[in-house]
Amino acid sequence: MNSNFSCQTCASADQKLETFISKLSVETSHHRMEGQSVKCGFGLQGICCRLCSNGPCRITPDGPKGVCGATADTIVARNFLRAVSAGSGCYIHIVENTALMLKKTAASKGVLKGKLALAKLAEIFAVEEADEHVRAEKIADMVLADLYKPDYVKMELVEKMAYKPRFDRWKELGILPGGAKSEVFAGVVKTSTNLNSDPVDMYLNCLKLGISTGLYGLTLTNLLNDVMLGEPSIRLAPVGLRVIDSDYINIMITGHQHSIFAYLQDRLIQDDVIKKAAAVGAKGFKLVGCTCVGQDLQLRGQHYQEVFNGHAGNNFTSEAILATGAIDAVLSEFNCTLPGIEPICEELKIKQICLDDVSKKANAEMMPFVFEEKESQSNDIIDAVIAAYQARRGVVALNIDGDHGNDDTLTGVSEGSLKSFLGGTWKPLIDLIVAGEIKGIAGVVGCSSLTAGGHDVLTVNLVKELIAKDILVLSAGCSSGGLENVGLMSPSAASQAGPKLRAVCESLGIPPVLNFGPCLAIGRLELVATELAEAIGVDLPQLPLVLSAPQWLEEQALADGAFGLALGLPLHLGLPPFVTGSPVAVQVFTQDMLNLTGGQLIIDDNAKSAAASLDAIIEKKRKELNI
Amino acid sequence: MKRIIIDREKCDGCLNCNIACISAHQEGSNFYTVDLQDPDAQARNFIKYDPQKGYLPLFCRHCDQAECVLSCISGALEKDPLTGHVQYDENKCAACYMCVMNCPYGVLKPDNKSRTKLIKCDFCDDKPDDPSCVKACPKKAIAVKEVSL
Amino acid sequence: MKIVIIGASAAGISAAKTIKASEPDTEVVIIAKEDRVHSRCMLHKFLGHQRDAQGISFIADDFFESSGISWLNNTTVIGLDAQNKTVKTHDNQDISYDKLLIASGASYFIPPIPGLRESKNVYGFRDLKDAQLLDRECNTAKDAVVIGAGLVGMDAAVALLERGLKVTVIEMTAAVMSLQLDQKSADAYQQLFEEHGAAFILADKVVSVDVDAVGRGRTIHLASGKAVAADLIVIAAGVRPAFNFTEGSGIATNHAILVGDDLKTNIDDIYAAGDVTGMAGIWPNAMKQGRIAAINMLGEKLLYQDRYALKNTINFFGLTTLSLGNINPQPEEKCQILIREDRNNYQKLVIKNGVVEGVIFQGNIGGSGFWQYLIKNKIDLSAKNKDLFSLSYADFYDQDPATGEYRYAV
Repeated sequence: MNSNFSCQTCASADQKLETFISKLSVETSHHRMEGQSVKCGFGLQGICCRLCSNGPCRITPDGPKGVCGATADTIVARNFLRAVSAGSGCYIHIVENTALMLKKTAASKGVLKGKLALAKLAEIFAVEEADEHVRAEKIADMVLADLYKPDYVKMELVEKMAYKPRFDRWKELGILPGGAKSEVFAGVVKTSTNLNSDPVDMYLNCLKLGISTGLYGLTLTNLLNDVMLGEPSIRLAPVGLRVIDSDYINIMITGHQHSIFAYLQDRLIQDDVIKKAAAVGAKGFKLVGCTCVGQDLQLRGQHYQEVFNGHAGNNFTSEAILATGAIDAVLSEFNCTLPGIEPICEELKIKQICLDDVSKKANAEMMPFVFEEKESQSNDIIDAVIAAYQARRGVVALNIDGDHGNDDTLTGVSEGSLKSFLGGTWKPLIDLIVAGEIKGIAGVVGCSSLTAGGHDVLTVNLVKELIAKDILVLSAGCSSGGLENVGLMSPSAASQAGPKLRAVCESLGIPPVLNFGPCLAIGRLELVATELAEAIGVDLPQLPLVLSAPQWLEEQALADGAFGLALGLPLHLGLPPFVTGSPVAVQVFTQDMLNLTGGQLIIDDNAKSAAASLDAIIEKKRKELNI
Repeated sequence: MKRIIIDREKCDGCLNCNIACISAHQEGSNFYTVDLQDPDAQARNFIKYDPQKGYLPLFCRHCDQAECVLSCISGALEKDPLTGHVQYDENKCAACYMCVMNCPYGVLKPDNKSRTKLIKCDFCDDKPDDPSCVKACPKKAIAVKEVSL
Repeated sequence: MKIVIIGASAAGISAAKTIKASEPDTEVVIIAKEDRVHSRCMLHKFLGHQRDAQGISFIADDFFESSGISWLNNTTVIGLDAQNKTVKTHDNQDISYDKLLIASGASYFIPPIPGLRESKNVYGFRDLKDAQLLDRECNTAKDAVVIGAGLVGMDAAVALLERGLKVTVIEMTAAVMSLQLDQKSADAYQQLFEEHGAAFILADKVVSVDVDAVGRGRTIHLASGKAVAADLIVIAAGVRPAFNFTEGSGIATNHAILVGDDLKTNIDDIYAAGDVTGMAGIWPNAMKQGRIAAINMLGEKLLYQDRYALKNTINFFGLTTLSLGNINPQPEEKCQILIREDRNNYQKLVIKNGVVEGVIFQGNIGGSGFWQYLIKNKIDLSAKNKDLFSLSYADFYDQDPATGEYRYAV
């Protein structure tokens, strides 16, 4: 007998991580997969309805309709719109907080690190204020004003943000969103008991939520954060469990709201705080990146080299990171903060503090972030973490796999940094695409899950297939957490690409998979796509560009997906989003969407055949563009 | 012989066994794609519910002295001497449904659509491993065990 | 040991199978007047040309070879010498036995109606030979008359309709299949048959048949004065156990061969099973009797107790019905009758003192097998505080922990 929690853990594309987890004496998500391996067929098909006390109703041969008369098509559409609404709500919460943060930062004349981002937003929003703080506040106000509009008043920034051909199409389809928060409300109302039963109306509503989610929740969150926290810049950085340095007091951060840490991360490296750390025997404080907020820090890591150790892993690596024993506290402000970290924190005496009650963990201390009290709050956090450090170090065993990950992941890629890397113009990239040196672009985005073969298995396998076909991969979200840890974002990964892409990568010294950071950066991919389309003079659906969320996990991913479809892009998912029980849903997503927006859903959990489908689409689009 | 042994206390009535059974008998389908609205979609197992006793899974026992076999006028139902399972040959069946009448446990039923064949558990004998229902049970309320005749 | 079985239908074959399964070394000889083993319940499939003779067999193609059973087909037993333990066949063979099973079944019966017995175009619908003769007639005949609207008559009618004949069914009682159905459920079938071209004359009686110059019955006269033209006539007015060959053997009979609960006749080593005992009535029971007789012949002691024979299923034109027990109780029986109907179903329960006496389920009969158990075991349902129509085996659910087999908790 050994102390391993269970001999059965799920596979991971990250072999070292798989081995590390299989030897842990604490339970992780990877251990729980086995116990959840048998899935409910009604759930998988989306044909279980729990909207009223006559239910749960499930569509069966003997019960082809719910008690109320809802068909499989209605039930699936309601469930799906509910999920997209919830997912949209999550991202809208993030952009709301971010805009509020910018507003308060600007109002209090705080530091604005991203001058370029501010200029860019001012240009898009047509704000002509000379003073940068006034300008920033005005920008924040404009975003907030849109978010708070009722659903019957269209948001004003959509037209300013969106690519014109897309905006026109959305207008034709009647899917221009009203106030983003109200749209979530409308989606929830529509899908309640005995309200909307028209699947097509509900799917159009999903597209509307996709637009508000994408332009505000994703794109604007990035840009607003860039204003406060600085623009990303390209550099090589270490990733994986190796980034954890036990000589420091380590804080793992989980969530999506980088600006909540803006003050704290600067405070942690001030002399008095370092002295406090030294007083208890540590060299200082370090932030250990995990989940998307970790990706955000990594993306802007150029500005935070001293306090940020690097990105250790994605959502389903978080438990393993804690299990190293070298993390002293977890600060959470959003998902993906797994409930599974709670017993690990308990056992390893890790302090848990939540800064936003939407992610309140059962055994965490709640310290809701208040801008005006950020100084005192930061001090409280620092003291609490030091106390945890003292209580646990020396008591809790360390188990850091220093071999996990790598030191040369290329990070800091954004629409801005990539363009400046190319010399301030997209022309070199367009030329490479036209010449066929890069066959096309695949945005492999979204989450990590433990299904579809295991942790990051489909994501990694699909990306390997795509780059072998000379397709350049851009990644944003937890998918990039997995891809970087297996080395696909290191320049040496060029050797795994097809001959043409390999040559391009090697001449530029870049990997064939570019790391845009958090899932929020799907918005950055949209900016890249739009700028490319603009430069070529075509609409988005014409580009040799595909999207894939091979291991989409949750409702936010579905809202992202709705954005992708609204943009008119082909979207691959590894597993169906709980809609296959409805013939109408399958028809709308896989066929009719082509006529609506130009988008299309492709479901395939096989890396080879999925890559072949995406490759065929890229080839087709190239042909249509005569390149 | 192998029999599906039922631990009814564990059953939660999720009907996954139904879906698995329908899928196993719907060519090329899986849990995502199985068409539950097809009139031919019929499970060979049943979950009944009793407020006092809870869920009561009804699965073909492949009885030692199978009344269905004894009632068959066409030779379509035979007890396989090797596996002990009662196998059904649709081509031989005359759809008289004496077997439905004679199954003491009400497990057998005619097909819904054409009433030309019998819907009966085949123990997924044409598939590797355990029967599909057993593999699909999240509660392990059903399990294959060797029983002596 | 050598066991001789007379008859190769349900009881005979079931017995042979049982013997060979438990004692493969026992010598088994089956003597049958038929050319080949066939299921009489499937004759309509043969006559209707849905299946050939092979297709209505109920045994595996290599049944006799693989189980090592001697098969004497086209052989009629004409005598039995119980003293010397031999049976005599029509071709003068004397076949010895250690144990004998008489499973010679029954023969159809032609009522003594003037002209009927004499007509050359009158056929029963009992075995393959009958069906083969009818099959030949169907090539030229146009008008068919079926006398008797019981299950056999209706089987014949459905096959004749299938062959494109104009079919008239004449029945003494007021409804078709009156042993199995009540008026309402019978009407449903009558209507279906009529939709498929059949005509019914109910509550009427054949009084005479006009025979033409070549000896064929041409016009059937009824008590009502009606006359029906016929090219062929099927008589389905019941059967009689067939045991002529036992005359003088000392076997006790009373319109049937008499047996005890062990299915042994009054003579040691001679058993009887199936229709010849007059207590089978239906295929599953004949199968079970064959099995029990076989086990007893091998020296075990098993009693035939599951005698319940008032049961049937009907499936014509995709309309299925389960019929059990006393389905048309007389008013003086003071039964409670429960009816439930919908677009596709008619269901009737006959209850007396909390015990189900009769069941008709027409339409969906899935999962209805447990009702037979409730009726034949006279299970008292008065304590079941629920709608009786919603009963299922789940209401009596119990398992044998050792084998996982179900049993009844009552």
